[in-house]
Amino acid sequence: MSTLEIGVKETLVAPWPEWARRATRGRRLLEAGTYALTEGAIAAGCRVFAGYPITPATDIAEYMSKRLPQVGGYYVQCEDELAGMHACAGASLGGLKAMTATSGPGFTLMHDAYGWAITNEIPLVVVDAMRVGPISGITGAPGQGEFYIARYASHGGNFETIVLSPSSVQEAFWLTIDAFNLAERFRTPVTILTDQVISDMWEDLFVPEDYDALDFVVPRRHNLMMPFYPVGSADLDVPPNVIGHGTGVCVSAYTHTEEGYDIEEMEAQWAQTYRLINKIRHHRDQLTRYETVGVEDAEVIAVAYGANARTVKTGVLEARRRGVRAGFVRLITLWPFPDELFARDLPYVVCELNYDGQLVREVMRSAPDGRTVRFMGKSAELHTVAEVAAGLEGVARNGRVPELPYIWTEVR
Amino acid sequence: MSDAPTKARTEILISGFGGQGVIRMGQILGLAAIKQGHRVTMLKSHGTETRGGYVRAQLVISPEYVDSPVVENADVFVAFSAPAYKKFFDFCRGKILYDPEMVEAIRPDAPERHVAVPATALAKERFNNVLFANMVMLGALTRLGGLDVEAMKKAMLEVIPRFHEQNLAALELGYTLPAVVPA
Repeated sequence: MSTLEIGVKETLVAPWPEWARRATRGRRLLEAGTYALTEGAIAAGCRVFAGYPITPATDIAEYMSKRLPQVGGYYVQCEDELAGMHACAGASLGGLKAMTATSGPGFTLMHDAYGWAITNEIPLVVVDAMRVGPISGITGAPGQGEFYIARYASHGGNFETIVLSPSSVQEAFWLTIDAFNLAERFRTPVTILTDQVISDMWEDLFVPEDYDALDFVVPRRHNLMMPFYPVGSADLDVPPNVIGHGTGVCVSAYTHTEEGYDIEEMEAQWAQTYRLINKIRHHRDQLTRYETVGVEDAEVIAVAYGANARTVKTGVLEARRRGVRAGFVRLITLWPFPDELFARDLPYVVCELNYDGQLVREVMRSAPDGRTVRFMGKSAELHTVAEVAAGLEGVARNGRVPELPYIWTEVR
Repeated sequence: MSDAPTKARTEILISGFGGQGVIRMGQILGLAAIKQGHRVTMLKSHGTETRGGYVRAQLVISPEYVDSPVVENADVFVAFSAPAYKKFFDFCRGKILYDPEMVEAIRPDAPERHVAVPATALAKERFNNVLFANMVMLGALTRLGGLDVEAMKKAMLEVIPRFHEQNLAALELGYTLPAVVPA
């Protein structure tokens, strides 16, 4: 059963369909998501990986330790995740594109470094391959528990973050290039929030032959002079700061001036925050990526992201087959949150891999009437097609999700 | 593949203990399908042990992009262990290939869906090594599924780094087993 057979419209808003049309020479492989994340990084010009292994992100570290020396890069095995991300920040300040990868238990350890990278505008890519929690949960089972943690990846407030989530091995490849591009253009860390299924699963993967010929990769540029921090400005494409090229730069965890010196003035606090928030908020049109299916005539819309979106999409098509006019929204950009995708006043059914309800709260906030938003939380296993179809059918016909084993519907 | 799968989506479920080559078998199947122009997903789940733990490969092969990668109604189920057989029997609506040395008792209902492939016994007998059992099973599955055996051999040589001669012989052995050769 496909969208074609059902006769509904499918839309993907992202830069990579165009990239795929341009890069047609390459190899078709059967590879894991971790492989695609690694190759996407290499293709994007990543030359440093520093981190600490953890299931299900360990294979990224392993692939990187093999691939980086082949392209003149550096693999650094650190003592922990905190050191790993700080080392990446250092490498990026040294002029090289850098990435680290972890899972939830390591991601929370990175938050100090994440804050340093945000406030000092250091481009980086961080992969969080989510497993189910709380804390260490089950190593080999998927979760989506870091939706909010990825948004608030540091303490103290006064910043926006960019978080992307792929839902296939192929998309993981293109999206990683996209993440590096956005990190460079916005001068900020970008999180790839993936999950155990996408990172561990194997799938057909097209990999372009010649990475040097990929003209859509944003190259690393160097800011060689002051101001280091264009506070008070929302400008994009400011070259990142670099040290060691006859250059230096002040970095600080404190509120700073455009020279990078610590300052305790309201005016400086305002100007720095204006930049960190608005360089992202003012350019949301360049950040929003998503997929929709059959939303035009929908009476109910299922919402999902990541691996879970795979079975949810099939569930939507199954509901269509049963006569429910179901639609599908798959978020790729999770943050900044694309409120505009939920502007229509109809019931939304949010399927995510946690029981506490995270994505669902943002949909409730964005929708014209939050009371029409329904929750189908699951944990450690993807939603089945049957569950999603039953949920959509229930909401379309009776206004509620029927009782199903292991499906959590309450949001408080 | 040559004359299969003809319908949109083929689901294959392989399960056994860690170390039996369940994932390798799925990898070869998947790569052979990709080389023939199909789209493929393979979910693998396993315990934390490298050997002895539980392993499952869920493959979906389709001419189009595969949305749900989850095997809910397998067209073929390969059972390499008794716990796997018990656990996943209900996820299969098609043929069940089982190794009688590992799966000693099969369910009395639907005997026509069961095909005994003595992969472990044959691997021990012919190659003096149980490691080749997965290739015997792959050969049997190739024949039973009407798949292209030459494509399978090519994919296998790409995936397996060593002992090509024995692996090819094991695959051939499975492919020519009387239990799977049409009368």
